[in-house]
Amino acid sequence: MFLAPAALYIIVFQVIPLLQEIYLSFTRTTLLNPTRSEWVGLANYAHVFSSASFRQTLLTTGVYVVACVVGAVGVGLLVALLLNGKFPGRGVARALITVPWAAPGIATALIAVWMLNPQYGIVTRILRALGVPVGAGGVLDDPAWALPAILATTVWQLFPFVCVVILSALQSVPAELIEAAEMDGAGRLWTFRVVTWQVIKPTVGLLALLMTIWSLRRFELIWLMTRGGPLGSTRTLVIDLYAEAFDAQRLGTAAAIGMVGVLISLIVIAGSRFVGRAAERTPR
Amino acid sequence: MHATPRPRRALFLAGAATTALILTGCSGGAEEAEGPVTLTFAASTFGDPGLGPRLQAFVDEFNASQDGVIIEPASVPFPTFGQTVLTQMGGGEGPDLVRFDMPEFSTAAAAGLLEPLDDVIDAAELGLQPGPDEYLFVDDARYGVIHDTSNYVMFYNADLVPEPPTTFDEFLATAQATTQGDVYGLAFRQTQAEENGVWQDIFNYVYGFGGQWSDGENLTLDDPKNIEGLEAFQTMYDADVIPKGADAATFRRMFAQNLVGMELNNGGYVVATKGTNPDLNFSVAPIPFPVRAQGAIMAPIVVNANSEYKEAAYTYIEWMLQPEQQQKLQEALGAASMATPTERSAESLEEMPFLTVFDELTNTSAPQIVVGFGPQTPEIRSIVVREVIAALQGQQTMQEAMERAQAEAEGIVGAP
Amino acid sequence: MIRRFRLGVTARMLIVLVALGLAVFPIYWMFTTALTSDADLFGSQPRLVPDFSQFGVFIEAVTEGRTLRWLLNSTVVATGTTLLALLLGIPLGYALSRFSFWGKAGLALLLLFTQMLPEALLVVPLFSLFRRFDLLDSLPGLVLANTAFVLPIVALILKGAIDGVPRELEEAGRVDGARPLGVLLRINLPLIAPTIAAAAVIAFFHAWNEYVFAVTFIFSREIQPASVGLAGFVGEQGTALQTIMAVAFLFTLPAVVFYLFAQKYVVGGMTAGAVKG
Repeated sequence: MFLAPAALYIIVFQVIPLLQEIYLSFTRTTLLNPTRSEWVGLANYAHVFSSASFRQTLLTTGVYVVACVVGAVGVGLLVALLLNGKFPGRGVARALITVPWAAPGIATALIAVWMLNPQYGIVTRILRALGVPVGAGGVLDDPAWALPAILATTVWQLFPFVCVVILSALQSVPAELIEAAEMDGAGRLWTFRVVTWQVIKPTVGLLALLMTIWSLRRFELIWLMTRGGPLGSTRTLVIDLYAEAFDAQRLGTAAAIGMVGVLISLIVIAGSRFVGRAAERTPR
Repeated sequence: MHATPRPRRALFLAGAATTALILTGCSGGAEEAEGPVTLTFAASTFGDPGLGPRLQAFVDEFNASQDGVIIEPASVPFPTFGQTVLTQMGGGEGPDLVRFDMPEFSTAAAAGLLEPLDDVIDAAELGLQPGPDEYLFVDDARYGVIHDTSNYVMFYNADLVPEPPTTFDEFLATAQATTQGDVYGLAFRQTQAEENGVWQDIFNYVYGFGGQWSDGENLTLDDPKNIEGLEAFQTMYDADVIPKGADAATFRRMFAQNLVGMELNNGGYVVATKGTNPDLNFSVAPIPFPVRAQGAIMAPIVVNANSEYKEAAYTYIEWMLQPEQQQKLQEALGAASMATPTERSAESLEEMPFLTVFDELTNTSAPQIVVGFGPQTPEIRSIVVREVIAALQGQQTMQEAMERAQAEAEGIVGAP
Repeated sequence: MIRRFRLGVTARMLIVLVALGLAVFPIYWMFTTALTSDADLFGSQPRLVPDFSQFGVFIEAVTEGRTLRWLLNSTVVATGTTLLALLLGIPLGYALSRFSFWGKAGLALLLLFTQMLPEALLVVPLFSLFRRFDLLDSLPGLVLANTAFVLPIVALILKGAIDGVPRELEEAGRVDGARPLGVLLRINLPLIAPTIAAAAVIAFFHAWNEYVFAVTFIFSREIQPASVGLAGFVGEQGTALQTIMAVAFLFTLPAVVFYLFAQKYVVGGMTAGAVKG
C-alpha cells in the first residue's frame, strides 16, 4: 500500500519511456516521425563509438563532472567550516550564502553570459585589469577557457547547497571530542581529520553522489552559455544528445548516446558506497 | 484559457491513495463547437520586442474582423523555436499555424507534417510573387505561402560610415577605418552558441563571392568560390574589426548605440533598431561583394497537418493575402516583402527612403537552405558552421574546413 | 594566545565576507544591469551601482508584460510538484526503510538510476504518453512530468531520515494499536519534519527551474511558466537586456524567499537524512 502508488508512478513516467528509448536506440527514427522506426541493430552504437568527437565528448563530460563534484564539495566544505565557528552576523551570513542555489538556472546562465561578455562583462573587465590575457572573444569563445568558465558558474550555483548540508552535519560533531583532542596537543588539521571528518564523512559521500548525478545531466546552463562550443570544448553527453535529437532530428542515435550515459551512470552507482549500504541494510 | 476547450481535453486527477488516471470528457472526433474556434499561431516574431507587438496587433485585427475564429499566439520562445515546434508536430500536436524558417519548413514538409495547400492557394489568382514562391513546393505539392521575406542588405551607421563601401576591399578598409576606441567597424555572429545565426551570416559571403552550397543535385560545399567567400569572412574576423565573441543581442544594441559601423542583416532589423534608438542615423545599401547575390529570410506560413481546425486556418491565410492586409502586414513588419507585390506608402518611403533597396534585391536573393537538400539543411548547417568556426579559431584552413564538411555531409545525404 | 585568536577571527571574517560577496554579487549585478541605461551599459567604464531613474523597467515588467502571470504559473507548478512528490515520496521512503520485500535493492537502485536520465532523453516518449492521456498543454501535466524527476531523490532522502528514527518508538506506537499508516503519520512524520522541508525545497526548485518539458508540453501563453517566458525575451532581432535582467531578478526572488523561509528546517533536515543514509 505504501509502495504501490509511487512504484506505479515511476513505472509509468520513467521506466516505460526508458524502455521506449532503449528500443529507439536500435532503430533509425526521426524526430518528425517518432512512431515510424526502422530496426538497424547496433548501427547507432557503432556510429557513435566510431566518431572521434564522441570520445572528446566523453572526456569533456568526465572532466566536467569530476571538476564539478570536487569544486562544489571542496568550496562548500571550506565555507561551511568557516561559517561553523561563532562570530558576529553568523545568521545573516548563513542565509546569504545560500542565495546562489535559489537562483533559477536560466537566470544564472543569462547573468553569467552578460558578466562574461567579451567587451562589457564585469568579469572580463576585471580579468583584463588584473592583467589576465583574455582573448578578444572573451572566455566563452576560447576553447581553453570556456569549460572552466562554465565550471565556475556551476560551482557558484552548487556550493551553497553543499555548504548548508555540511553545516548541519557539523552540528553533530561532539564539542567534547574536539576539546579533548586539542587538550592532547593535537594540531587543527589532525583534529579535523580524526574527529570532524569522521562525523561528516557519510554526508560528504551523499553530497558527492548527488553532485555527480546532477552534473551528468546538467543541460540548460551549458546550452544557454555555449551550446557545447567553441570547438566542442563544452560539449557534454547531454548536449550531444540534445543536438543529435533536436538539431539533427535523429532520435535513434540520440537514444544510443543516452544509453551510453545511462551505462556510465550505472557504473557510478555501482561504485558508490551509498547504494552498497542501502542494499545491504535489511530490516530486522 | 481557451474560449473553446479542445475537444479531447480531459481531466486528470492524482488521487491521494492511488495514482489513478481518470479520463473523462469525450474522446475522438470533433464535437460541434459552440462559439468561435481558437487557433494557435507560432511565429518567432511574436517574441521580438520590436516586431512582436506589431504582429500581435495585426492578428488582433483579424480577430476583430469576424467572429468565427480567434487566433492566439503560441508560446514558443525564439531560442528553441525550431526544436520545440518540430518535436510537438512529430508528436502529433503543435500549433495550428506556424511561420517557419526555410530549413525547418523543408524538413517538416518532407516528413508529411504540413498540410498541402494546392487546393487553397491559387498563385495566379492571388498574384503571388513567383521568386520566393517557387521554394514552397516539395515533390510538386505546395506546403506554404510566404508570410514575409526579407533580403539581406548592408546596414550602416551614417554618422560613422559617411560613404558606404561598394567593393569588398572598400568594405574591409571602411571597417578598419571605423574601428577606433570603443567603436567597431563591423559585427557578425561567430560563436557556436548562435549556430543558426552564423549560417545566415556566412551565407552572404558564400553567395556574394559566387558560390553555392549545392548545384541542386550534388553538394558543392568545397567549391573554390565558397572557400573564397569564407576566406573573405575570415579576413574580416582576423582584421579585428568586429566585437569578437559578442552575441547578436549585444552587438545589435551596440549598433543602436553608435558603437558598430556596419552589419549585414535583413529587413526585420529596421523596426528593431528604430525601436531601440529612434534617433539613430542609419541607412542601408546592397552588400558590397563581387556578385549581387545574398540570402533572404523567407518565412512561409504553413498549416499543421495535425490541426483540427484546418478550415479556420485557411480563413486566416486567405484574409492575410488580401491586398489591403498585405499592405498592413508590410507596414507592421517594416522592411519585409510580402507574398504579393505591395506598394510602399509615401509616408514610409519618406521616413525610410532606403526601403527601395530591399525591394530591388528580391530577384537575386536566395533562401538560406541547401538547394535540393532542403530537409537535410539543419544537419548540413550544423556541420558547416562547426568546421567554419574551427577555421576561424585557427584550427584549420577554410579549404580544409570545407573539405571535411563536404566529406561528412556526403556521408549523410549519400555521396554523388 | 589571545592575540593569535583575534587575528584568526579577523582573517576568518575577511574570508567569509569575500565568500559572501562572491555568492551574492551575480544577483546584485542582475539587479544593477536591469537598472542601467543603454549608454552606461556599453560605456567604457562599468556602472557599479543601480541607476534608480531607470526603475520603470521593473514597473513595465510587472504591469505590461506577462511576468506576474508567469510567476503565478511557476508557483502552481512548483507547489504542485512539491506536494505530489511528498505525497508519493513519503510512503515510498517509509516502505524502503522499514519493509522487506522482493526486489527492494533493485528498486533502490532504480530510484538512483532514474535520477541520471536527462529530460532531453525522455521528452519524446513522454510527449506521446502525455498526448495519449491528454495531459499536454496543462499545468497538472507539467506537475506530473516534474514529479517523475524529483520523486526518486525525495524518496531516497526521506528513506535516510526514516532509517534514523528509532524502531523502538514505532513499536511503542504499534502496541497502542496503530496501523502502519498511523505509525507513519503520528510517529515518524513529526520526527522527520526537517527532512521533509529539505525534500520540499529540492522539489520546489527543480520544478521552478525546469525548461525542457515546460517549453515542449505547454502551448498556450496563458499557462506558460516563468522559465519559458524568460527565454522568450531573447528575440531574433533585438533583445532587451534590461528587461530580461529585471524579469530574471523577479524570477529569482520568490525562490530565494521560499528558501530563506524553509532554511531553518532544512539545516536540520538534510543531515538527518544524510548522516544515516
